[in-house]
Amino acid sequence: MNIRRLAIANRGEVAVRIILACQELGIETVLLHSDVDSGTKAYRMADKRVCIGPAATASSYLNISANVQGALAGGVDALHPGFGFLSENPDFAEAVEKAGIAFVGPSAAAMRKLGDKVSCKELANKLRLPLVPGYQGEFQDVAALIAAAEQIGYPVIVKAAAGGGGRGMKILRSREEAKELIESAQREALSAFGSAKVFLEKYLERAKHIEFQIFGDATGRVVHLYDRECSVQRRHQKIIEEAISPSLTPELRRKMGEVACLLAESAGYQGAGTVEFLLQDEEFFLLEVNTRLQVEHPVTELVMGVDLVKAQILTTAKKASLFERSGMVPRGHAIECRIYAENPYEGGIPSTGKLGRVYFPEGPGRRFEVGFEAGDEITPFYDPMIAKAIVWDETRTRAIQKMLRVLSDAIILGVHTNIPLLREILMHADFVSGEMTTRFMEQHFSEALPQPELLAWEKEMVEQIYRKTPKSEKATGGASANPAENPFMATWRTS
Amino acid sequence: MRFEFEIDGRRLIAESEWIRGQLWIYLDGKTFIHASETELKSRASKKSGAPGLARDLMAPMPGKVTKIIGKPGDPVKKGTAVVVLEAMKMEYTLKSEGEGHIEALHCQVGEQVVLGKLLVKIKPKS
Repeated sequence: MNIRRLAIANRGEVAVRIILACQELGIETVLLHSDVDSGTKAYRMADKRVCIGPAATASSYLNISANVQGALAGGVDALHPGFGFLSENPDFAEAVEKAGIAFVGPSAAAMRKLGDKVSCKELANKLRLPLVPGYQGEFQDVAALIAAAEQIGYPVIVKAAAGGGGRGMKILRSREEAKELIESAQREALSAFGSAKVFLEKYLERAKHIEFQIFGDATGRVVHLYDRECSVQRRHQKIIEEAISPSLTPELRRKMGEVACLLAESAGYQGAGTVEFLLQDEEFFLLEVNTRLQVEHPVTELVMGVDLVKAQILTTAKKASLFERSGMVPRGHAIECRIYAENPYEGGIPSTGKLGRVYFPEGPGRRFEVGFEAGDEITPFYDPMIAKAIVWDETRTRAIQKMLRVLSDAIILGVHTNIPLLREILMHADFVSGEMTTRFMEQHFSEALPQPELLAWEKEMVEQIYRKTPKSEKATGGASANPAENPFMATWRTS
Repeated sequence: MRFEFEIDGRRLIAESEWIRGQLWIYLDGKTFIHASETELKSRASKKSGAPGLARDLMAPMPGKVTKIIGKPGDPVKKGTAVVVLEAMKMEYTLKSEGEGHIEALHCQVGEQVVLGKLLVKIKPKS
């Protein structure tokens, strides 16, 4: 088929990324946006815009019929869902296809098979692929649960079957404490979620997050484009990603890549996807499959020399026989840092408001994915990620050096960003050595960063700057003229 | 506004801009808000004020009120959770800074609040 016009059901930097790919392919774009998102880069770049609803995501970016109606009004042949929002919702994919619009992504059936955790595990079991050992059975008396825990092997984590968010979770380390902790988890589960039912799972306390980029072409063949490591995460939100992982032996890499392709091929997967694993002590376990483009796709693009977004669109148009299985070899090392609008000196509290000066230092092997520019408003309605900085260099060490320099030279005024935190992470011994695990942030950065004191000469410069900056630029002030210091006692929910 | 300084033969870049009544400064890799004299004074007086005294809870960020724990008359202690705000998909719990009781609620669940809005009036224990 021919795609002449494509709708983007997303916002921010990924919408910009998709628009750029379409521009190069000669495809017109229609941005489906909420009413508060007219001050964004994607809005200014799209050929057409359709407002699909108010700020609240439930009535705009997560509203299936509003998006389908918007796409129809835009007269598009295809729709790209980006990531997040409705990108992994099979009902959305179905609704789009039903409206006669090609969905850029896997079929709804493949999404249901792989995207749903339970059915993905069933499929993986059938294929005898490695899953995190666990017990999800009906027997809930303590003796049966202890027996199951013994079979799994300590440490074992007890989770509320109906829950999430850390409540009802206990870690069992020995038989002696198992009974008491299981009973306590059951009580907490009952009071928090109304059901005492619990699951058991092997607790991986030194695990690394490794994922494989897969791609299924129109013929049903699935290839992988090597791996990424995303162990640096907080509250299950990734912060720094890199390709390829510094932690895999060639043997592990080969095995995991095979597992990823086998799983995707058996589900009839088409387009870009990611198979996530946990790796501990040279043993790997399947975690889940993300049936969409990934936030961190640029690191793969840089080391593999591919354009995943174009490949997605061309696959949807059935125009491409993509990536040959042989001859694809990663080159050098790429790192991505997610720049969040938050204050690292106050434990990551979101920072909103109009952006002042924004500057990213361009250079060889540097790439910036930006969704907002000076004058744009960072609103409290959506994800706090405002940009991504991605670097490529010949080795991991040089890529880290380059990223440190890039972050030091980048200027963002008007909202606080996590740049100081990113720099601390990049300089941490466990990150530099490549030994970080998924608990890295919790172990080393659970507290707010200490606010750096200005040196004497810096204070002098600040006084000069204060005197010389024209106050005519001074805005009206108002409620947001708040001191940098936060007078409120507050805590982030930690899971 | 852009500045260039030279320190020991090294050239440093600074940029500054007044935004919403605050002077934002980027100086050689650090970004911060310049603390004006009035701010410094108010910080100093805040610090010298009786520590651990309960005080009114105001929104430390714009967001949506997702939960209110307690009603007027309820006693609070240091660390008692009173209001839960949500912004950018994250939850933020506002806690009392000291002992006292809830005098009045100035927000409702589901309400979108602006930065600095009074959410809960708290009467400190005398």
